[in-house]
Amino acid sequence: MSSVISEIRKDYLYNLLLRGERADGRSFTQYRPIEIERNIIKKAEGSALVKLGKTQVMVGVKIQPGEPFPDAPNRGVIVTNAELVPLASPIFEPGPPNEYGIELARVVDRGVRESGAVDLDALCIVPGEKVWIIFIDIHILDDCGNIMDASSLGAIAALLGATVPASRFGLGDDFPLPVRDIPIATTAVEFGDVVLFDPDIDEEAIADAKLTVITKADGIICGMQKSGPGMLSEEQVYRIVDIACENAKEIREKFLE
Amino acid sequence: MDERVFIKDGIRLDGRRFDELRPIKMEVGVLSRADGSCYMEMGDNKVIAAVYGPREVHPRHLQEVNRAIIRYRYNMASFSVEERRRPGPDRRSYELSKVSREALEPVILTSYFPKSVIDIFVEVLQADAGTRTAGINAASVALADAGIPMRSLVSSCAAGKVDGQIVLDPMKDEDNFGQADMPIAITPTGEITLLQMDGMMTRDEFRQAIELAKKGCQEIYRIQRKVLIDRYSQFEDLQDEGSRR
Amino acid sequence: MDRKIVIPGDLLSEDTRRSGEGTYVRNGKVYSLLYGIASFREKISVIPLAGKYLPAIGDNVIGVVKDITFSNWILDINSPYDGLLHISEFPKKIDVEDMSKYLRIGSSVMARVKDVDPAMKVELTLNDRRLGVIKTGRVVEISHTRVPRLIGKGGSMISMLKKELNCNIFVGQNGRIWVSGNEEDMDLALKTILLIEREAHTNGLTDRIVDYIKNARRARG
Repeated sequence: MSSVISEIRKDYLYNLLLRGERADGRSFTQYRPIEIERNIIKKAEGSALVKLGKTQVMVGVKIQPGEPFPDAPNRGVIVTNAELVPLASPIFEPGPPNEYGIELARVVDRGVRESGAVDLDALCIVPGEKVWIIFIDIHILDDCGNIMDASSLGAIAALLGATVPASRFGLGDDFPLPVRDIPIATTAVEFGDVVLFDPDIDEEAIADAKLTVITKADGIICGMQKSGPGMLSEEQVYRIVDIACENAKEIREKFLE
Repeated sequence: MDERVFIKDGIRLDGRRFDELRPIKMEVGVLSRADGSCYMEMGDNKVIAAVYGPREVHPRHLQEVNRAIIRYRYNMASFSVEERRRPGPDRRSYELSKVSREALEPVILTSYFPKSVIDIFVEVLQADAGTRTAGINAASVALADAGIPMRSLVSSCAAGKVDGQIVLDPMKDEDNFGQADMPIAITPTGEITLLQMDGMMTRDEFRQAIELAKKGCQEIYRIQRKVLIDRYSQFEDLQDEGSRR
Repeated sequence: MDRKIVIPGDLLSEDTRRSGEGTYVRNGKVYSLLYGIASFREKISVIPLAGKYLPAIGDNVIGVVKDITFSNWILDINSPYDGLLHISEFPKKIDVEDMSKYLRIGSSVMARVKDVDPAMKVELTLNDRRLGVIKTGRVVEISHTRVPRLIGKGGSMISMLKKELNCNIFVGQNGRIWVSGNEEDMDLALKTILLIEREAHTNGLTDRIVDYIKNARRARG
């Protein structure tokens, strides 16, 4: 998923990095400005529009009764899906999700699931028969880089404001979706010795490897994904994880607590 | 037919009179990757339109030697409706994409861009009856924003029949339980580029419905025009500097 | 002279003789074809505020190699149509098998549009002293609709920029601008060009740009 980026542009970005700078003036670990608007889609049980710089992602949460998995008959179910709709980028194409869309959805899902953010035990209606199904639908609107972090942030923000619509299904009173943790994903890309957090679209285009680290409120790592054809040194991985934890803490405290 | 009453003392469920549109909000240039874009709210409908192009056609065999082809993709987000919708196109979205494309095609000067494609993408983020008309309104502004040569904008809204009365811009309940729904799209000079109807109307009612929908479209046109003009509001009387080469 | 923002379909005149670029005539009246700035001179023309670059013969452009075929480089020229650079249009005689030694995928060139046929086949050339391969400096991209403003009336803006910014500047009509100079000067040049793009439709721009450059230099000391 790339478009031709000219060598002259690449050289410029590399030279900047050697000078310790990024094209938009940020420090290497700094995020672009974040804005989150919650519950703007009335038809959804929870929703969030996340702006990360110019990147925009809308996440909608729908909650409906359905069948549990046979191996977890008393627990609610989470289904995560991402649409890289062609509105969001000249290189996205219409059609069923490709491997990039599926990877995105699965990494977001991993963060929510493994952190135990949603109390699935509280979402059983009739043991073995009926539980609440939580659909997390990620709709990318404008891909200006790092849709991974924007999507994860959108997912947890939408879940935090979500209501279980029990009354609509004649299953008692509506209640807030029980959310116990706030997993935050932070992504970095590497260039030689340098590690850059929250890459924009150009930085993503010239980087070969990226690493997403998802951490819980207590600092425990609950999901990771290395992505892209490049390599990361052990040292780089440790460095990314350390900074990721700090970045996640800051984002969590500032926007979601 | 449902026994509910939808119009009482000339006032509809949401407080409107028969000839009133729902509140409208429009914003142009909301996306940075797209060549043109527009966000629109019509009542509880929320749609966003993006235009890419003219650009190269893939696959190549779709190219037309003497003009640009137009593609229009109407898509509903899974969370845009009460009952979660499965992602991906269904028969309804194929049909709406086709008629919406044909609503805009007649005003676009496709002959300026041989062998290329102009892609129009409409995402419905929240649906409440009238998404196709909102989509056409937003797409029309997005096309202008992308700098595409056009004879004019296109404006679109529906008229319906509820409790035996012709009303403008039906909302969800009126659409679900009403006797007819008729979306149209129209140019500012009065040519009709979209016309669909389902339900039942007499010929007289049909004429009334057209008149009412036309009036609604004129009102929408004023908003479309204003949002485009206001985007460059800092523009005042320019002096003659930096003219074209 | 009278100017205003118009949208497609706006009535501009009832005198068909005044129909200029960016307008059309219907039923004896002149309307705008574009969202842009209408200038009311003897003729009325509308200059778009956005849109894709369409190559015209004689235009200078900056292209990026996206593919190499048997005897052509295929260049992205920021347009719906690719530019073809034939091996014979390279300033020096080279063999077909050496093509990628001179221009690789990702290489940038300053080229001129030699020919455009009705099917939009665009042929480029590097055969001019001022054209060639870009090896140093930076390229910035702006909307091609703002290029006339960057050049200015009779080239007034661009000559002022070259002088005040201490840089070599090559303006591609396709909105790509090459700038070459020392790092500090290039930084300022890029910022200035982007400022011109943003404010292209406003009044008294040249004076404001001169002030901007002076202030930036003073702040730097």
